[in-house]
Amino acid sequence: MTTLNVRVAAVEQVTELVKHFTLVQQNGQPLPRFSGGSHVVVSMNINGRNHRNPYSLMGSPDNTESYHISVRRQEQSRGGSVYMHDQVTVGSELQITYPVNLFAISKLAHKHILVAGGIGITPFMSQIADLNRLGQHYELHYAYRSPEHGAFVEQLREMCGDRLHCYVESEGQRMSFQQLLSQQPLGTHVYTCGPDAMVKTLLLTARDMGWPESHLHSEQFSAPPIGDAFVISLAQSGIDLEVPGDMSMLEAMEEAGLEPPFLCRGGACGRCELEVLACDGALMHNDHYLSDAEKTAGNKIMPCVSRASCQKLVLNI
Amino acid sequence: MQRGYWIRSKPIYGSLVWQSPAAAHLVIAAGEGGIAVLKLFQQMYPREPIQVLYAGQPKTGRDYAEILGSTVPEGLQICNSEAELLETLKTQLGNYHMGTQFYVAGPEAFLWQVMKSLGQVGVQDADVHKELAGTLARPVYCVHCKTITEAVHHNIFSCSHCGRKLFVRDHFSRRLGAYMGLMVDAEQPGNIPKIEEVYP
Repeated sequence: MTTLNVRVAAVEQVTELVKHFTLVQQNGQPLPRFSGGSHVVVSMNINGRNHRNPYSLMGSPDNTESYHISVRRQEQSRGGSVYMHDQVTVGSELQITYPVNLFAISKLAHKHILVAGGIGITPFMSQIADLNRLGQHYELHYAYRSPEHGAFVEQLREMCGDRLHCYVESEGQRMSFQQLLSQQPLGTHVYTCGPDAMVKTLLLTARDMGWPESHLHSEQFSAPPIGDAFVISLAQSGIDLEVPGDMSMLEAMEEAGLEPPFLCRGGACGRCELEVLACDGALMHNDHYLSDAEKTAGNKIMPCVSRASCQKLVLNI
Repeated sequence: MQRGYWIRSKPIYGSLVWQSPAAAHLVIAAGEGGIAVLKLFQQMYPREPIQVLYAGQPKTGRDYAEILGSTVPEGLQICNSEAELLETLKTQLGNYHMGTQFYVAGPEAFLWQVMKSLGQVGVQDADVHKELAGTLARPVYCVHCKTITEAVHHNIFSCSHCGRKLFVRDHFSRRLGAYMGLMVDAEQPGNIPKIEEVYP
């Protein structure tokens, strides 16, 4: 996979838990253009093991001098965000993938409702740059825990003016999805990014109100959860691999020198989908890509975030 | 059409069935599409508000205005022509919000004229339930002179504007609401395959 070699040009502590990194190309060339809502996958070498985490690009798509990503520190995770916070400083060199967009604004929409929770604000920042440039009708609803956790609020107020609506949980301000979605004109699209419960509730509310699927957009990147070790048997390559508890199947295959396809590494895009040939236990799907019916059928799996509770899982690769 | 081969742009139409959940229901029909509306009202009515816009086609097919009048419990509006219906639709669309379920029934050209009006307010093709009713007659776009000939019944016909003998293909343009027609004897002038009625 083609990668870009970048250097960290600036690091800003935005809130207690969020750091903002400015990335420029090591060779001084402009970076590739992207569209609002795009993300890149950052490679990190942590204790000899390669971690790759997706982060949304939050700078303006007009700016090809630098890319901007923000990372929320997640203590209960496998260490990618902690590495970004503790090890990556100005001058650090990183490898990132070319931008990919799984969360683009709809060109058919007449109105856009953007709903962000916490660090889920990041993809909207590049989308808003696009919406402003195109003169589109939009509103941004941004919920966060407390005033000191409201990352980028000042910048957003400058970008959005009175189209920004903030909901501060510690002050008892709560978004009513029902209210937000009722009486919206035909041609409205809703976009959401944030904690799992928020995204699920918003999508369920919209469907319950008769909103068609084509008007609902969401993006969630999952980190591969930690689980029990198991063995994967790769039918085409004829090799068996142990997947340790703190590694994903995709990482285990890469560790073994294989190059399985991937794109987002967060269970969102579907690029790494593999066919399950046999499993002597249960599949544990953690992606946002397969439908419930496909998950139940049990013949496909996303090796980037999903696991199995079994002795041996046979994959068609 | 051969077995195992199809043109992806050819629309596939279903039968109208009330959709749930919904905030409101808007049913739009013309001509024989009246039958599809009557079939809807043989199903359990939804609780949400219903509006029905209907234009009869007394010349080409049956006019179901009268039967609809005695069947549809609320919100029926009868228009005198498809043109009048489309005008009425445009003025009323502003009253509808996200969550409205749309149902359209009638000849193919009508379905896509309605889609054009709905598309202008941001309602997408996939959001609208459509039933083809009464005739398989196709609106056909001449790729040579860019004219659309309405209600074509034969596999090969003369373009209403340039007169070329056009072969009707399954390629369909949702933007134009018409099938593609291209000159059948461009390479061997006058060599016209058998003309048959295939879209009665």
